[in-house]
Amino acid sequence: MYLDRRMLATFDWRMAGITLILIGVGIITIWSGNLGSPSPLKQSLYLRQALWFVLGLFGLLAAAFVNYRSLARFAYPIFGTFLALLLLLTVVGGAGSGAQRWIRVGVWTLQPSEFMKLALIVVLARYFEDYKERLGELRLLVVPAIVALVPILLILGQPDLGTATLLGLLTLSILLLVGLRFKHLLFLAFAGAALTPLLWSFLKDYQQQRLMVFLYPQLDPLGAGYHITQSKIAVGSGGLLGKGLKAASQSQLNFLPASHTDFIFAVLAEQWGFLGCLAILLLYYFLITRGLEIASEARDLFGALMAFGIMAMLMVQLAVNVGMVLGVMPVVGVPLPLLSYGGSSLLVTCVSIGLVMSVHMRRFLY
Amino acid sequence: MNRPWLSLTPLIQRKIRRTALLVTAVFIMLFMRLWYLQVLEGRHYATLSTNNRLRLRSVEAPRGFILDRSGAVLVENRPSFDVYVIPADVPDPDETARAIGAILAQAPGEVAGKIRAGQAHPYQPLLLAREVNERTMVAIEERKMNLPGISLKVHPIRSYLDHGIAAHLLGYVSEVNREQLHQEEYRDFQPGETVGQAGVERLFDAFVRGINGREEIEVDAQGRLVRLLDRLEPQSGFNLVLTLDKKLQVAAEKAFAGKRGAVVAMNPQTGEILVWVSGPSYDPNLFAQRLSRGAWEELVANPTHPFQNRPLQAQYPPGSIFKLVVMAAGLETGAITPETVFHCPGHFTLGRSTFKDWKEGGHGRQDLMQAIAHSCNVYFYQAALKTGIDPIAWVAREFGLGQKTGIELRDEATGLIPAPAWKRDTVGEPWYPGDTVLSGIGQGRILVTPLQMVTMVAAIANGGTLYRPWMVKRVESWGGEVVAAYGPEVVRKVNVNPRVLELLRQGMLRVVEEGTGRSARISGVQVAGKTGTAQVVKRQVGNAGMTKDHAWFVAFAPYTDPEIAIVVIAENAGFGSVAAAPVARAVLEAAYSPARGKTAVAQGPGLGAQE
Repeated sequence: MYLDRRMLATFDWRMAGITLILIGVGIITIWSGNLGSPSPLKQSLYLRQALWFVLGLFGLLAAAFVNYRSLARFAYPIFGTFLALLLLLTVVGGAGSGAQRWIRVGVWTLQPSEFMKLALIVVLARYFEDYKERLGELRLLVVPAIVALVPILLILGQPDLGTATLLGLLTLSILLLVGLRFKHLLFLAFAGAALTPLLWSFLKDYQQQRLMVFLYPQLDPLGAGYHITQSKIAVGSGGLLGKGLKAASQSQLNFLPASHTDFIFAVLAEQWGFLGCLAILLLYYFLITRGLEIASEARDLFGALMAFGIMAMLMVQLAVNVGMVLGVMPVVGVPLPLLSYGGSSLLVTCVSIGLVMSVHMRRFLY
Repeated sequence: MNRPWLSLTPLIQRKIRRTALLVTAVFIMLFMRLWYLQVLEGRHYATLSTNNRLRLRSVEAPRGFILDRSGAVLVENRPSFDVYVIPADVPDPDETARAIGAILAQAPGEVAGKIRAGQAHPYQPLLLAREVNERTMVAIEERKMNLPGISLKVHPIRSYLDHGIAAHLLGYVSEVNREQLHQEEYRDFQPGETVGQAGVERLFDAFVRGINGREEIEVDAQGRLVRLLDRLEPQSGFNLVLTLDKKLQVAAEKAFAGKRGAVVAMNPQTGEILVWVSGPSYDPNLFAQRLSRGAWEELVANPTHPFQNRPLQAQYPPGSIFKLVVMAAGLETGAITPETVFHCPGHFTLGRSTFKDWKEGGHGRQDLMQAIAHSCNVYFYQAALKTGIDPIAWVAREFGLGQKTGIELRDEATGLIPAPAWKRDTVGEPWYPGDTVLSGIGQGRILVTPLQMVTMVAAIANGGTLYRPWMVKRVESWGGEVVAAYGPEVVRKVNVNPRVLELLRQGMLRVVEEGTGRSARISGVQVAGKTGTAQVVKRQVGNAGMTKDHAWFVAFAPYTDPEIAIVVIAENAGFGSVAAAPVARAVLEAAYSPARGKTAVAQGPGLGAQE
């Protein structure tokens, strides 16, 4: 790693600052949202998140100052490693517990599917850079599409529909950038519909049942329907200015489920009101549009595609999560980047943002 | 600027800029939706929020049943009616406490204190009384108007058959405790929920637990149910089908009643556990209700350790059972052959030490088969000496002694197979020839668990395959669909000549046909076995009643194509032939001649103490 004066001068302080503010808001919300919880574990969740925050900060700085070209060099082994971890989970994860999303490393539990998001972006960016002379050819898209399908199917089998959908949308957005057209998309949709019954038959009965509830929440009226009603009451009752940290009854009295993970935006909306939400969303807006700007100014195709893919990932997660909380999207378990409780997600998002900053810092260096 | 993909830049840059426009559009839509919900409809939702008369009650999912190998129920659920209070709905704690205290026969002051303490989490239902009777239920229903905030809830409670057969294998459930609630493993648990705390109940908790349901109800200003708005049915947990055989288990518990020690039976061809008895036992039903502090302390302080899972946690000297290992090692090394003859005058002298036989006057001239059948000590003193300790220790380890069997239950003991190096390192003394002599009859410092003994016998019976013991065959849904299925797991092929194993089996047959194990004979099926009597080291014993020897018996049957391997150990019960072998016979009779079983157990052993 070599530091250059010009590099430090181009360190994107605003991007780093926004990231820190959003994580900080998340920790405060996790703390205040669980004040009324009877579970001591939930009351101490914010401390764990703060610990992950420290780790994430290191990740962000390391990613920003390390030359991202080295990531391009190791793209395939990195992807292979996380694919192997996912496979490992599928093989051994199911023995005692139902869900196979986590791997334990000492006291830490890691969720390989979160890391897979970034690994997939990196491997796709590397692939298209390798074949940049042939960019625009439709045939070039076949291999990456198949490569992306492997982790998607593995994660779908966990079953984690939210992350699988996210990976799918992510892949599509990158493919659209390098040559896929909307008419091709239409064709893909048909092919996908035709393939579904085959994939379905590979799943076990109880896995099918779980997926059905994921896909058709109306099968589980009190589950999803109740969540949406309570979430809308929480958001709406926040009003223009919000109720403040401790008076936010809707989220504190356990009317709201998963208030520290997938529904954290509802807690935020009840506490801080419309103006607070506006401020938070504007921070996200600035982060994402700035990231896209960096992508368009990148010095090489790998950097451009990686920065674009990361921003697409953040945008899709934000739209699906906030859309769900506001009752305009179906209930799919996707965390809100930087705000939701969850160490793996936080760490990956921090590293991702660091990588985008790295692309910015190195755009004039050769 | 030198851009390697210059030709494509404008196109991709244009596309990225177009994406930024799309992002802007999405954000504008989110802002509009927020504006609508929070500003335009804000007042409406604020009213809904303050008047939230909706309550969400969780409905506990019944745990799955635990069944034996042929589907007979071992563990089920029964309904319990519990009285709860929701502090938020109590306008006057003293008033409510007086009224409900009279019905439940609880001190009103105490109840009022509880309600006040609960105000911190006002919507969290507080348990006042568990399993109330019908008269109490009627009284509460009648006085409903004067009992704001009080509600009755039915919940399933675990019920173990026959005061808990195979209690140490099945385990028990209890409320998740405060310590567990702090652990990541229990992240999905709410206080008051039930969780498996030991045995199979704990190991397979994620399968057995089920998914709790919910009820959305509307309440009036006093917190009384106005109507049920919606109900999400709880999903029962999955059923477990064990490898256990209820018929054999009941026979074993009956025959072993009142004794301390263990009985384990296993299918030697697969490693499936058929019988699991650990005595003395406890009643797991006590934990499903709320155990009083006194009852708990009594169980823990009991000097006979009812909680100890003896088959895998208790370590005993193997006594004469170990002669099988010495015999195998001797034959394997060629130190002895079936024709080797030693003279037994009733004692054996080595240097200045004299080692006695259990039989006064000795057995006379004995060949190998006679010596194993009559468990002649002097023969095996000499056989061990001739073979040497290293081959003996090696064969013992081949049979799985001195190492964990790998069963999925917790805190398994390792046992101990001492060797010269071990003695030098831990005791600080060299290995004497006398140590080898004592090893010949399984004394000295050798320690084994009953489970190790039965896996060893199973390996002898099945021709040399050491199986990992297992106890859950299948996890099934209520519809009978198989959710998970398990099968035999081979630890290793025992590296002992098959012809040697054949001789061991012949020797064990002689033990039951004409030797010390005759009290295990049953009609119709040939049984092969070995008795053992393990001396209790006197200085370790504080209690006067615990100085008697431990009685061992191992067996397998039928002699050809074995289906059952069994171990019995009765602590401080005397000779294996008298105290342990009849228990094994009771189990084998339950398996092979059930009609004769009843009378036979009552008869008792007709043979004198001999070994």
